[in-house]
Amino acid sequence: MPEPPILDYRAAVLAALAGEMRRDPAVILLGEDVGAAGGVFLQTAGLLGEFGAERVIDTPISESGAFGIAVGAAMTGQRPVFEVMFGDFMTLVMDQLVNQAAKVHYMSAGQFSVPLVLRTAVGIGASLGPQHSQSLHAWAAHIPGLKVVMPSTPWDAKGLMAAAIRDDNPVVFFEDRMLYTRKGPVPEGELVIPIGLAEVKRPGTDVTIIALSRMVQVALDAAEALAAEGIAAEVVDPRSLLPLDLPTLVASVKKTSRAVVVDGGYRQYGVTGEIAAALTEEAFDWLDAPVLRVGAADVPIPFNRSLEALVLPDARQLAGIVAKLVRGLP
Amino acid sequence: MNEKQTAKPAIVAEPLLPAAEEAVALLKSMQLIRAFEEQVRRLFAGGLVPGLVHLCAGQEAVATGVCAVLRRSDWIASNHRGHGHCLAKGMPVDRMMAEIMGRRSGIGMGRSGSLHLFDAANGNLGTNGIVGGGIPLATGAALSAKRAGRGDVAVCFFGDGALNQGLLFEVMNMAAVWRLPVLFVCENNGYGEFTAIDDVTAGGPPTGRGAVFDIPSEAVDGMDVLAVREATLRAVARGRRGDGPSFLVCTTYRYGGHHVGDRQDYKDAEEARAWRAKDPILRLAARLQGAGVAGADRIAAWQAEAEAIVAAAAEAAKAASEPAAEDLARAVYA
Amino acid sequence: MTEPLGRLTSLSIFRRMLLMRHFEEAVIRLYNEGRFVSHYHIYIGQEATGAAVLEALGQDDLISTTHRNHGHIVGRGADAGRAMAEILGRATGFNGGRGGTLHICDASRGFLSTSAVVGGCASLATGAAFGIKVNHQARVATAFFGDGALEEGVVIEAFNMAALWKLPVVYICENNSAGAVGMQGGGYPTAITATDSFCRLPAAYGIPTKVVDGTDMAAVYRATVEARQHCLAGDGPVFIEAFTDRWPGSNPLWPELATVTELAQAWEPDSIGGAHAEWIRHHDPLLRAVRDLLAEGHLTRSEIVAEDQAARWRIEQAITFAVDSPLPLPETAEQGVFA
Repeated sequence: MPEPPILDYRAAVLAALAGEMRRDPAVILLGEDVGAAGGVFLQTAGLLGEFGAERVIDTPISESGAFGIAVGAAMTGQRPVFEVMFGDFMTLVMDQLVNQAAKVHYMSAGQFSVPLVLRTAVGIGASLGPQHSQSLHAWAAHIPGLKVVMPSTPWDAKGLMAAAIRDDNPVVFFEDRMLYTRKGPVPEGELVIPIGLAEVKRPGTDVTIIALSRMVQVALDAAEALAAEGIAAEVVDPRSLLPLDLPTLVASVKKTSRAVVVDGGYRQYGVTGEIAAALTEEAFDWLDAPVLRVGAADVPIPFNRSLEALVLPDARQLAGIVAKLVRGLP
Repeated sequence: MNEKQTAKPAIVAEPLLPAAEEAVALLKSMQLIRAFEEQVRRLFAGGLVPGLVHLCAGQEAVATGVCAVLRRSDWIASNHRGHGHCLAKGMPVDRMMAEIMGRRSGIGMGRSGSLHLFDAANGNLGTNGIVGGGIPLATGAALSAKRAGRGDVAVCFFGDGALNQGLLFEVMNMAAVWRLPVLFVCENNGYGEFTAIDDVTAGGPPTGRGAVFDIPSEAVDGMDVLAVREATLRAVARGRRGDGPSFLVCTTYRYGGHHVGDRQDYKDAEEARAWRAKDPILRLAARLQGAGVAGADRIAAWQAEAEAIVAAAAEAAKAASEPAAEDLARAVYA
Repeated sequence: MTEPLGRLTSLSIFRRMLLMRHFEEAVIRLYNEGRFVSHYHIYIGQEATGAAVLEALGQDDLISTTHRNHGHIVGRGADAGRAMAEILGRATGFNGGRGGTLHICDASRGFLSTSAVVGGCASLATGAAFGIKVNHQARVATAFFGDGALEEGVVIEAFNMAALWKLPVVYICENNSAGAVGMQGGGYPTAITATDSFCRLPAAYGIPTKVVDGTDMAAVYRATVEARQHCLAGDGPVFIEAFTDRWPGSNPLWPELATVTELAQAWEPDSIGGAHAEWIRHHDPLLRAVRDLLAEGHLTRSEIVAEDQAARWRIEQAITFAVDSPLPLPETAEQGVFA
């Protein structure tokens, strides 16, 4: 296999979108500023030119109504990709997402399905303030009938976006905006990564760091630092929250006997708690220490950069937390 | 209800009676809906319908008059008061009754009930538990229909309570901008749940809500199935030829409460009597008799036939089994 | 042109406009210097609207605004230094540096929480008006929003309830999408709407509407005074749509045009040049205000220059205050989540 080209994350998702739109005329794209403007982060640049206004549709600032229309279109033969400009604005589509899209297949006893993708950009780090920086993926992951995907690398982003578009269920696809410019190898042509498979991003034997989305790189950097201290950390990326590849996580924890779960969303009632509890249920006898949760500080995300930087740990801080766990908590 | 929110039907000549066969079909459709609702009411009283159920007796002319114009490949999205829409769009009576009674033979496997009756084979995107919830679904179906280019249209039925949902406004704007073949049908029965529409609604007649987007908006006598049918013919023709959305505000009346068991203390007895005097079934029956299409005995026979159909459906459902425990987690994902 | 305003009123509006303009010019400069990150939204081009509305409001009136709030904040007389400090994320900012450009809020001047979610301000102001009504207070609530807000269903829901309950709220739609560029696209380049006039939307709910030229401070002022009287008389909400031509520097999305407005261009039109000469010559509300003030004999050229210098000086002081202000202490990060 030839060396795959290097793309940034944004370009990888765009490649998947364009590829799927070429492959299947039922794929349409809707959202605010996705057409002429090419997306507020230029994440849909060029699609309008290639696929035209019938398939690349600029919506008004009417999130609830426009997403509801996407759900109806999905029920009747389209495969819409709907963009919510900021993850915080998911609050505006919640009724359509939770009470309609997630339940239609079940309520209709399988007569209808809702093959759509809701993609949205989340994450701290751009000084966007309290209404533009949250990571609310735990909300979506609470709802049966939805799938929730949050890739950490350009490679995964391309493969999982293609899979999300081909999935017959509503898939919520979270992209951390701070990953958009991150570069990595991405295979050319078709790449489909099945949703629901975790990946071990770095093998290790002393402790498992389960990390999602942008926190995977933080975990990898922490693991590198820990290696210098003689601690071999295994980094596992679930890649999707729903379905969650629990067997892979459990297998890792049974090997290492210690686990830290790291996520960019709020810690309280969050993804980290869910995964920690599941590990405790499934691997209690193998654990040598409590499973630790590391999430965003439970505050509205501040605008100020120095305060915002305190919301999530960096690699050095995470390494400290992990080292303390491995060496025995005080 | 006072006069403010009551859309004033335009002064038009009495609608023409369609050909005998079609006119009779309209009557039979309304009779079936009325019989169905009466049957459900009795079943509910007998403890055989779980949860809450919302009946449409009194509003039969809207469901019947609109769906009479539609073809099978056209879409509808309904609301919580949706039995009439489902029946008029062809949902099988027995599977529908079984669903409302929570039986496994129901069209939703007995898991969904009256609020969530879906029928893909007949273009029905479901009744809906969220006020206004069906509005964007039908409009999305209209987007699909437009892409498919076969001239199909989509209809959403909603009550006056949904008029004040911002969602309706958002969706009407997009339907107009994108010229989608969708027909917005408001059944203004005077009450949103337990509250009179005038107590919660500002502005002039509801047709104004569509007119701001230059959507052809028409006030219709919702107690006259022929008037509803004629207005729908005009609207659907616009949709089929690519002229975008239309809005019908059908003034009608809910004979019962918001749901079965609602004491309706907020309603005036005189008001209810006045509306019953405009009963859509009696009105069409009188016209059929006047035109010599059918006599009183044949009309009564059709009524009895409708009652027998729904009674048989109820008996079959009573005998049917409930969903099994293994059905609980079936079809969460496609 | 509308009948001119008196000297004191004109002068007061003009002073607010000068502060707004030089504040925004400073914001762009500070951004270009890397003093803060984030996206931000500039009020240049809309000053006559905001300044005239604020002039017409009473001291106790309540205001909710949007992501494009800087002009409203400083035009209302809020401390420009603390506003600038907020944009720079400093501890001395109105929100302690946690809100930033999108959420600047000075409660002491009657501002409600500043919402950066499109349309959010309309329901906040309507709720404030509800409070005013039930407490029988002699004041009004005002919501500033852009034309895009009229795509959000929540705004329409607010219209319905405000009209139904006759709430004392003045909705100010600052339609900055008009103008030569916008009209080529059929009228509303930033909004996607099927209506040919936004006034038809509130009108469908029985709300009186008024369209004004947003660069004509007299027209905006008089419309607001009238609307406020309507509210105070208990007659319910009013909707004002003020049209302005979008400042080329905020087109399409990111402010990038660093400028310092030279008021002398008002009387020396030949000195106007560059790519945006057309906008400066015909659509700049500040230069228009200068021309009007001169024509009405309210101010002389030298008085205008003096006013401009005073405003620039105040903004320079604000910058100094903001830049010299400390960052929030790390230990404050978790404070104030709950009351």
